[in-house]
Amino acid sequence: MLEKEPSVCEEKTYNELFRKYYQPATKYIYYKCGNLEQAEDIVQNVFIKIWKLCDTIIYSKAKSYIYSACNNSFLNEVAHKKVVLKHQKAAKDNTNYESPDYLIEVDEFRIQLKQAISDLNVKEREVFLLSRIENKTYKEIAEITGLTIKAIERRMSKALKELREKLGAHIKL
Amino acid sequence: MMKNYDTDDTFLGRWLAGELSEEELIQFKKTDAYKQFKLINDESQLLSGPDINVEAALQNVKKRTQSKAAKPKTFRLWFSVGMAAILVLSLGYYMNSSKTINNGIGSTQTIVLEDGSKINLNANSSITYKRFFWKNNKSVTLNGEAYFTISKGDGFKVETSKGTVNVLGTQFNIKDRTTFELKCFEGKVEFLQKNKSSSPKVLTKGMHIKIKKDRIEDYMFQDNVPNWTRGFSTFDEEPIQLVLEELTQYFDITFDTGNINTDRLFSGRFKHDNLDLALKSTLIPMGIEYELKGNNIILSE
Repeated sequence: MLEKEPSVCEEKTYNELFRKYYQPATKYIYYKCGNLEQAEDIVQNVFIKIWKLCDTIIYSKAKSYIYSACNNSFLNEVAHKKVVLKHQKAAKDNTNYESPDYLIEVDEFRIQLKQAISDLNVKEREVFLLSRIENKTYKEIAEITGLTIKAIERRMSKALKELREKLGAHIKL
Repeated sequence: MMKNYDTDDTFLGRWLAGELSEEELIQFKKTDAYKQFKLINDESQLLSGPDINVEAALQNVKKRTQSKAAKPKTFRLWFSVGMAAILVLSLGYYMNSSKTINNGIGSTQTIVLEDGSKINLNANSSITYKRFFWKNNKSVTLNGEAYFTISKGDGFKVETSKGTVNVLGTQFNIKDRTTFELKCFEGKVEFLQKNKSSSPKVLTKGMHIKIKKDRIEDYMFQDNVPNWTRGFSTFDEEPIQLVLEELTQYFDITFDTGNINTDRLFSGRFKHDNLDLALKSTLIPMGIEYELKGNNIILSE
């Protein structure tokens, strides 16, 4: 006996899906295109489509539908911009260096880091940010992007190597 | 040889996920590159993505799903069909529609029809005629009183509540109120009484008919134009109630007749431009007293 799934046409179910997936999906698209407005637009259009086609969408498949629909709409839009990241999380205060020079260097390094991430190839960047900022496991990222875990490991490695190449000179240890 | 970050393209990825073997990790930590990778990783994890207002987005999506029709294609099709039907029907209706000209109490106006015929429409009266193709069907419907000056031509007719007046180039006055009166001032008109199989009544200049209790009574008159077009009303042995009715055509008043006898006959006239004089010239000769209360006039003997 199959358990009956909730209908996506139910407003309650729809809202639940929206609240659950809107933010991560928008961030995912943002990490690809670097334009928040565009990302929100893409994801909102996907959710509008879900509302219209609600009776054809199976609740348990909604997540993968949302991500793949967002990705497809993203691929149909050309403009890719640089990702702008923020330093919001308080820096871990585990440093022993308190000289002003060091702080300036840290600030400088962080700016460079953001720039370098932003300059990464889209393929590496989306995976890297989903993992490092959104704390998603490789399994979850595989689900979202449709990549294999192996491919994700490769992209993560490549991203990290590229960042080191660009930033190595700035790192004084 | 042990794999390292340079030779294994998944090495760093596995390191970030904490999936290196203990041995691999020990070796890796010994390299200079390790500290740099670690710093990059630590710092990267301090970054955060954009702020996203989920509830605002949900509101926005809800608004957009409501404004867009659920099934736009069928909707548009039916919408177009509906619009086309409405357009055809309303055009047909408009082409076949009638134009009505209304006069309020106390006002008169002259209407010239497209064949040059002239209608002097008296107060508190209306005429209705077809907006288009009127020449194919020269028919006007009269409610109230009007004086017609009709150009020569075929088939002009006036529909009234008591019957049809057929015209052959002429001047005539129709009064269709409580009483029906038809006066021919020029030429010839034909009156066909409604619901009567009797042959049409023909009127020539100076002839005047009244319908009283469904019976046509014949009279003669001398005037060249109806008195009302000159601004007054005349009565020749008419019941008071008709005089009072006539007064209400020109003045915005009502009468409270109380217990006076409205069948008594009145001969005389009143002018349409002064209520006070009109009341004096009609009521005082009949020995009727009156009292104005706003627009209501209370009569007593």
